[in-house]
Amino acid sequence: MLNYGQFTQTSFNYYNVDIREKQLVKKNIIVRKREIYNTMRHKKRSVFRGQIAIQMFVLSGIVYLIIFNFVPMAGIIMGFKDYDIVMGVGGIFTSHWVGLKYFKEFFSDYNIGNLIRNTIGISILKLIFTFPMPILFAIVLNEIRHDKFKRLVQTGSYLPHFISWIIISGIAVQFFSTGGMINTILSKLGFISDPIKFMTSVKLFWGFAVSLDLWKELGWWTIIFLAAISGINQDLYESAQIDGAGRLRRIWYITMPSIKPTIIVVLILALGNLFGGGLSGSNFEQSYLLGNSMNKEASSIIQTYVFEVGLSQGRYAYATAVGLIQSIISLILILSSNFISKKLSGVGLV
Amino acid sequence: MSNKLFTNIYHKKRSAGDWILDILVYSFSFIVLILTLYPFYYILVVSFNEGLDASAGGIYFWPRKFTLENYHMFFSDIKWIKGIGITVTRTLIGTTIGVFFTTLVAYGLSFPNLLFKKYYMLIIVISMYFSGGIIPYYTLLNQLHLINNFAVYIIPGALNTFFIMIAMSFFADISPSLRESATLDGASEIKVFLKIILPISKPFIATLILFIGVGHWNNWYDSAFFIQDKNLKTLSYLMMEVVNKTMISSTSANYGASSSTTTVSIQSAAMIVATLPIVCVYPFLQKYFVKGIMVGSVKE
Repeated sequence: MLNYGQFTQTSFNYYNVDIREKQLVKKNIIVRKREIYNTMRHKKRSVFRGQIAIQMFVLSGIVYLIIFNFVPMAGIIMGFKDYDIVMGVGGIFTSHWVGLKYFKEFFSDYNIGNLIRNTIGISILKLIFTFPMPILFAIVLNEIRHDKFKRLVQTGSYLPHFISWIIISGIAVQFFSTGGMINTILSKLGFISDPIKFMTSVKLFWGFAVSLDLWKELGWWTIIFLAAISGINQDLYESAQIDGAGRLRRIWYITMPSIKPTIIVVLILALGNLFGGGLSGSNFEQSYLLGNSMNKEASSIIQTYVFEVGLSQGRYAYATAVGLIQSIISLILILSSNFISKKLSGVGLV
Repeated sequence: MSNKLFTNIYHKKRSAGDWILDILVYSFSFIVLILTLYPFYYILVVSFNEGLDASAGGIYFWPRKFTLENYHMFFSDIKWIKGIGITVTRTLIGTTIGVFFTTLVAYGLSFPNLLFKKYYMLIIVISMYFSGGIIPYYTLLNQLHLINNFAVYIIPGALNTFFIMIAMSFFADISPSLRESATLDGASEIKVFLKIILPISKPFIATLILFIGVGHWNNWYDSAFFIQDKNLKTLSYLMMEVVNKTMISSTSANYGASSSTTTVSIQSAAMIVATLPIVCVYPFLQKYFVKGIMVGSVKE
């Protein structure tokens, strides 16, 4: 098939011909271009017609996504407008522009220090503690030689991943409340005279949330590393054994380097999801469910704040603006981590 | 995993270091296992113990005063029964629609010569990573009359972009000749999808059912924010209410007027009821979903 490139080249050949002829050629080219465009469109149409059923499958999903994801994106303009719920939906478009008013308001909110500190602090702590543990646990599990026990431990350890945060927080209440099991045992053993207020303490909230998250997700993330370990060529271990390498040495010189790519990929993706809550992306659920009026200072994060001012107080425009800040920051984090991941290892989500 | 020769050498030479490592490895695994499972076991024990007695503490491994009263109270409370009904219904309908819709779209997208594929993927990737946020979303749902409507449990979450990506890479591995021979025999695309593609993807579909199903079963978010009608609340949401009650004031209040059950003991029974289906299902699908995760995370 002819392409545009050839045509532009032929037009250069007529460089010295007189202007009238030039114009004629130009006209011809335009006509031919249009013809080609038409045949291409025609061809596309016939290809489309050929795969019409498949196209319908996909288009049903695309239309769905446009309604449920793209239409709300248009609603973001609320964050720049003097909008109030009483105006109705039409008000989103007719209300006055107020520029960055709500963004300024957010950044001068007396609570913003706490919000940002909690949002970033909890996420980073989670990453520090919940990232290395699954690697260690996968290596430990791989050293177990009784297959049944190994499977039992593995299966048991990722049960909490499938349990909702509601139930986890219910269990936490029964263990950690002032009348709960941990406090009862500690006071019986004489370690404490007053019960420790795990559920309501500002000081303890971060550690409490991070430990619960580690408990919930440890087994789950172990699966990925364990799969990476099981893909290692056993001959490597064998020859290392013959060379006299002990088990620790084999772990350090064979297992660790072999799963390094997996570790890097998971780390980068976790970094990208930092604002959402590290590996599991559940900072919101945790802070919302475990947060209460007593530990608010340490538990409220930007996501819960958006809910509070938006759905509870009905300040739609302001909440939209704050939500937008959050989504933009997390988008930047995700995109840059994906970019780095692709550069380094060729693996990325996008 | 190791072959015969390897294990033989292994058993012959066991140094003191090996023993120490083994002790560490086994005790660490054992501790993790206990730490993970004991809390669930403890809730089970409390749920079978008399409520007021349990609030005195000191129960660890076995019910002190065994009773079925907590479950009796739980199942005779119309509020909980309704909650279970709503949760079961949404899980069944939501999972069926979700799995069907997600696989259908992913199957279509897995065609290598699909026209406009680039644009479709762009739309999917954008919706994967960016959204308008909760308030515009809420406004949309309100506009579609989905607020305070059972359909809000089913429709807005019917298509999961993340699962589309995973399903796409799975379907792309299915041999095209399989599909082509069926289409040559005159089968329509939808028939090929339902009669050939879905049946041969059983392991993958099982994984998807598990994830989407568990997501529906556990979801409290939509019930909490998009539903006000008490008759439409899910089990998870009702549980959240009880948990919130016990969170700040640790004193477990009497649940019923003339019984020994407490909010904590009823809550325990509710938690066991909510956990049981998951505990029953997930080990069986294990081999499938380990495969499924691998398809999604490593192969990409």
